[in-house]
Amino acid sequence: MPTRFAIAALVLSCIAIALAYALAFLPGGAPSIAPWGLALGSAGALSAMIALGAARGGRVRPVALVASLLTFVAVGGAFGAALLLPPDETTGMTIVLGFPLRTAIVLYGVGIVPLFFLPLAYAMSFDADTLSDADLERVRAAAREFHE
Amino acid sequence: MTGWWLMPASQRAADGRPIIIGIALAYFAVVALIGVWASRRTHSASDYFVAGKGIGLVTLAVAAMASTLSGFAFIGGPGLVYSVGIGAVFLVLSASITSTLGAWTLGKRMRLLGEARGLMTVPDAIGARFRSPAAQGLSAAAILVAVVGYMATNFLALGLVLDAMFGTGLSLGIWLAMFVTLSYTVSGGILAGVYTDLFEGLVKAVASVTVFWFVLRSGGGMAGITRAIAAVDATFVGPWGKMPALSALSLFFVFGLGSLGQPHIAHKFYMLRDPRRLKWYPALMSVAMSLALLLYVGVGLAMRAKVASGAVPPLARADDATPAFVLGFTPGAVAGVVFAGVIAAGMSTVNSFMNIGAAALTHDLPRAVGRRVGNELRWGRIWTLVLSLAAVLVAQWSGTLVAFLGIFGYGLFASTLVPSLAIGLNWPGATREGAVASIATGLVLTLLLETLAYFKLFSLPAGVTVSGLSLLLSLLVFFAVSWITRGRAASQLDADVRMVMDA
Repeated sequence: MPTRFAIAALVLSCIAIALAYALAFLPGGAPSIAPWGLALGSAGALSAMIALGAARGGRVRPVALVASLLTFVAVGGAFGAALLLPPDETTGMTIVLGFPLRTAIVLYGVGIVPLFFLPLAYAMSFDADTLSDADLERVRAAAREFHE
Repeated sequence: MTGWWLMPASQRAADGRPIIIGIALAYFAVVALIGVWASRRTHSASDYFVAGKGIGLVTLAVAAMASTLSGFAFIGGPGLVYSVGIGAVFLVLSASITSTLGAWTLGKRMRLLGEARGLMTVPDAIGARFRSPAAQGLSAAAILVAVVGYMATNFLALGLVLDAMFGTGLSLGIWLAMFVTLSYTVSGGILAGVYTDLFEGLVKAVASVTVFWFVLRSGGGMAGITRAIAAVDATFVGPWGKMPALSALSLFFVFGLGSLGQPHIAHKFYMLRDPRRLKWYPALMSVAMSLALLLYVGVGLAMRAKVASGAVPPLARADDATPAFVLGFTPGAVAGVVFAGVIAAGMSTVNSFMNIGAAALTHDLPRAVGRRVGNELRWGRIWTLVLSLAAVLVAQWSGTLVAFLGIFGYGLFASTLVPSLAIGLNWPGATREGAVASIATGLVLTLLLETLAYFKLFSLPAGVTVSGLSLLLSLLVFFAVSWITRGRAASQLDADVRMVMDA
């Protein structure tokens, strides 16, 4: 995927966040749709930055693209679920892994789930897609040339 | 004296204070030894500012974690969780992503740029990327403004802790904190800093895991803690805590994307000896961060549960949550490690800021106006001293002003550096004009809006923060100006920089 799509996703995410903030200035405060702009905008911005940072030669590599999409699904999905599900935080609530359901979805979906695939995706794709010995030697040769 | 937190007089004799003070003194001794060791290995500006580009992966990861989590992670953060519940966790929720994000967007490119150009600072990278002394100078000015505030805040916090532990009085505590940190920073530079960070990071991780175990044990597991809180106020354990959803999500945005603009973390990538070792940086850093954040999440909830169940009276100040928990529910040795961790966290953060502030004055600002300092090592040490004195005077001057300066530091770094550094290093379409405009936007907006808000002349609606708004607007300005001036983008990229960006 060309990196211009990552830039476009980043710009769209910023616009979504800007809309959320703009809605907060309305008389009577932010409507219930405003948090969606920040939820999806933040998820989109982080995912787009992952894709942009992992790109080489103007293209996003497959492993990074999958990691980026999974990040969007995990973060956007967890925030979206917390916004969509009806509040259930009462004395008789269901406890999931120590927390009320919506809280557990956010804390584990955003705070824990990415730990299982992002560092792994980075390490797995490092030699082929990030920095090989040959890449390093090429940059060092260019540096020597620059200094001469 | 600030108070030996919440301890009734009858308990003070058996409060384990000698153990706590003993552990704190042992910590100072280790720091002094590291300072002496590092000072013997600091012979050049490169040694002083980037540890001679010779540190290993574990040191980099743990030191980056220690610098990321200042004393706030042990005191202010749990206090915030105690006050507003789960919403406060949104400050650190993105930690599962930011380590890998930082490695992909900044790690390789900064490390290779450092190698190709011999760069030492974050403004160096911005200046080289856009071939722009103006962008380098503006970003250095923004760093300088934030650094003094951050240092003053941390000196004040350290002064409070030293006063509480040793009864020094606040003023002497602040000067002592400055003297100890300055002595190893001036002599050993960032080399002393990263190895102190390594030691401090390990102390912090051990303390955090241990305290979290006591949190679960004393509260009947996380489910027991949640049920105790929900019996009194169920919204506290809801997904946004006591905050509006917009506020919690705004924190996630600023602390997630803003993590890419923190110069004291980003500039550590220059120090890695072998760039190929970056492969395992995200895994190591993520594990270190996750362990160190257990205390942040657990202690505030545990104390709220204990207050809800009537086991302890409500805290006078939210920031008492950690001291009250470790003194009341853990053995003295654990409390000692936690307090040593608090001191260590403050000192390691100050050390990092001393270093990047001195680099801005010695290296970046002179280069921005076309000059070079003759002996950067000597001038680096002199500016470290001057900055420290300035920060101590600010810390002594006004408590509320210091708190204000500390608050906007993170947002100022984020709004001025994320577009030009994190996006600029990865997007050939970015232009010099876009970078300068976004840095200026972030700097002016943050200073103006925070000042107006501080003097209560202006307020933003609920859910909108100055840091979030400034970061967003500086991003939009960066994209808009780069798009308008897109015809100049290719001509502003040097061949070697382009090679690093494509690598």
